[in-house]
Amino acid sequence: MSGISQLLDIGTGALAAFQRALTVTGHNLANVHTPGFSRQEAVFSERPPVDGNPGQVGTGVRVGSIRRPIDKFLEDQLLASHEQRGRFGAAQTVLSQIQSLFGDAGDYGIGTALNDFFAAVQDVATNPADVTARTVLLSRSGTLAGRFNQASAVLIEQRQAVDRHISQSIAEINDLTSQIAALNARIRDVQLSGQNPNDLLDERGRLVNALGALIDVTSLQNEDGQLTLFTGRGQLLVEQHHSYKLVGLATAGSGVVDVRYDPGGGSLISITSLISGGRLRGLLEARDQTIAPLLTSLDTLASEIVARVNLQHRVGFGLDGSTGVDFFSPTGTAANTMAVAITDPRRIAASSTAAGIPGNNANALLLRALQDTTFAALGTQTFSGYYGSLASNLGAATQTAQRDAAAQDILHDQLEAHRAAVSGVSSDEELVNILKYQRGFEAASRLIVTADELLRTLLDMKR
Amino acid sequence: MVRVADQQFYSSLFSDLQHTRGRILGAQEQVSSGLRVRKPSDDPSAFGEVVRHKASLSKTQQAIRNIQFSTARLDVADNALSQAGNLLARAKELAVRARSDTNTAAERAAIAQEVRQIHRQLVGIANTEVNGQTVFAGTRTDVSPFVITVGDTVVYQGNGETQSVEVEPGQLVQVTIPGDQVFAGPNTNVFDGLRDLLAALETNNGSGIAAGIATIDLALTQVSAAHGQIGAFASRLQASHETLLATVEVTQRILSEQGDADLAKAVSDLQRYQVAFEATSEAIGRILNLSLLPFLR
Repeated sequence: MSGISQLLDIGTGALAAFQRALTVTGHNLANVHTPGFSRQEAVFSERPPVDGNPGQVGTGVRVGSIRRPIDKFLEDQLLASHEQRGRFGAAQTVLSQIQSLFGDAGDYGIGTALNDFFAAVQDVATNPADVTARTVLLSRSGTLAGRFNQASAVLIEQRQAVDRHISQSIAEINDLTSQIAALNARIRDVQLSGQNPNDLLDERGRLVNALGALIDVTSLQNEDGQLTLFTGRGQLLVEQHHSYKLVGLATAGSGVVDVRYDPGGGSLISITSLISGGRLRGLLEARDQTIAPLLTSLDTLASEIVARVNLQHRVGFGLDGSTGVDFFSPTGTAANTMAVAITDPRRIAASSTAAGIPGNNANALLLRALQDTTFAALGTQTFSGYYGSLASNLGAATQTAQRDAAAQDILHDQLEAHRAAVSGVSSDEELVNILKYQRGFEAASRLIVTADELLRTLLDMKR
Repeated sequence: MVRVADQQFYSSLFSDLQHTRGRILGAQEQVSSGLRVRKPSDDPSAFGEVVRHKASLSKTQQAIRNIQFSTARLDVADNALSQAGNLLARAKELAVRARSDTNTAAERAAIAQEVRQIHRQLVGIANTEVNGQTVFAGTRTDVSPFVITVGDTVVYQGNGETQSVEVEPGQLVQVTIPGDQVFAGPNTNVFDGLRDLLAALETNNGSGIAAGIATIDLALTQVSAAHGQIGAFASRLQASHETLLATVEVTQRILSEQGDADLAKAVSDLQRYQVAFEATSEAIGRILNLSLLPFLR
């Protein structure tokens, strides 16, 4: 008797095991397109045998565990790749937008406005008494100042947009770290109860990668399955079920956002210079290493143009005999405040002498000569040479960011491919598994039917 | 055995398509704009060069404009001075005829009439304007430089300054001669000479007429010297003009080499990428059918 009931027992055990395995397969197939999902495997193992004669007798199969094949090394590389991708991607986006300021290839940049300005000065030199040429010069000067104003405004607007983006990223980081801390607690509980928290681990892995795309993260896995996360120079982000907040504070004066770390004691620590990866790094780099110097350079160029043109203009004489007059507003020494001071074209000081009005053009020629003069403040370059270098530098930075981003994308794709080879779901494989487990299930059913027939045969003997 | 996961499969197909699409877009931008360097990052060093070459192109084209303006003005001066020469030659001819002592006082007075005409015409020529600006006033181009006062005396109201234009950076060419140098210059005062001749004719003064002829000779030399100077200015401008035109051509070629798209290449790239895109799409269509599923029925 015990033999037959044992047979039934083995059959039901196998039915349950194959059903469980089919469930795992179904879970895999259902999640074939879930981002961050790692395929799971039902690991079959023998049930403990029972003692018997002539020896131990097997008791069938069970699903010993549900395994989640992952490669820890690959996961770490992927996290690093997420950081780099976030960084280069953010820098590339910001820089590409700024580039539109330099429209000189299509004749609408500051360089073009500078050329037009000096060409108009030259026209005044050729026709010093002609009010039309002077009016054109005033209008060209207005365009030049306007281009500087606009470039400066666009850059400031970009900087503010980057700051908003930084604040938003900080909010996302805080959200992610608190979610990860909560998952830590749940994963620990599940593991303590002896189970594999596969799906929770996937979820946490996904969140850590998302965090890495925002800021550099170092992770340490504890024995109880909890992750400890650090950023910057060892600043704790997540420890067990605690998360630590980042705060974005507007710096007094400049108003730019400073990233601070809140260790919990109330005093905030600035970590802006410590962040080494992720979108935050890309944004900070774009803001502090491209936009800020570009703004300074534009201001330098604008103030040099204003100072030099005014200096020369003041020694000349206008058609109305005026002298000592500033051409550009002397207060407008920054790119965003540059403005033309003269409104009456007759006050343009083309003449170098009071007696030489209106035909004397010597001062206009000297003004024009500024176009070819190199200035120490501009690194011994001419106005347009300096501007050309600015554009080249921005172009090189943008190109580097674009290339880095593209290269990182390729690397990332490769890592994802490697990860998929280890942890991804292959529907063909799962379909084969379905067939396999189905056949197993059928065989187990057959076993039960056989046991049933044996029982019936025995019962029939009694009749 | 390498496992190929479904996600990897789809994402690699997708990223291949994306890359090809990106390349198509780039090639298409080049074809439609005709520019290889549209923004600094397309080629940073070439962009810097484009900015610098555009500056020098603008300067060169402006210099050509200067020359065109100034050449027009020099043409007017040139024309005025050749008329002045003709008038002086006519005055001399009249004086020579009047000098002969066979002339009566009445005949000399009649000749004086014509000489007065010449005197007035010459003043008009010396006050020639271009676009409302007088040519022989130095830089006082808003006044008529020569004014007739009492007793046919002509007074110069211009100044002694000259005007120059820039033909190349830093290279100035003088384009005006102050009227006092032409008409009241180093040799003689043309108007004073004519006035004295006029007086001699009217007072029937034979030796005065002879002195007048000598003065007119000097005046002729002086005006034709100025005429020559104007011609020299014009030829300076002309020479620069030709150099500048050549420079414009070279600069434009350099700009085009650095910044323009190689259209043949861009178009063939575009076609190549389109073919690649179609091939990838085709491959996706076929690969997507590869599954165990259809066979499990």
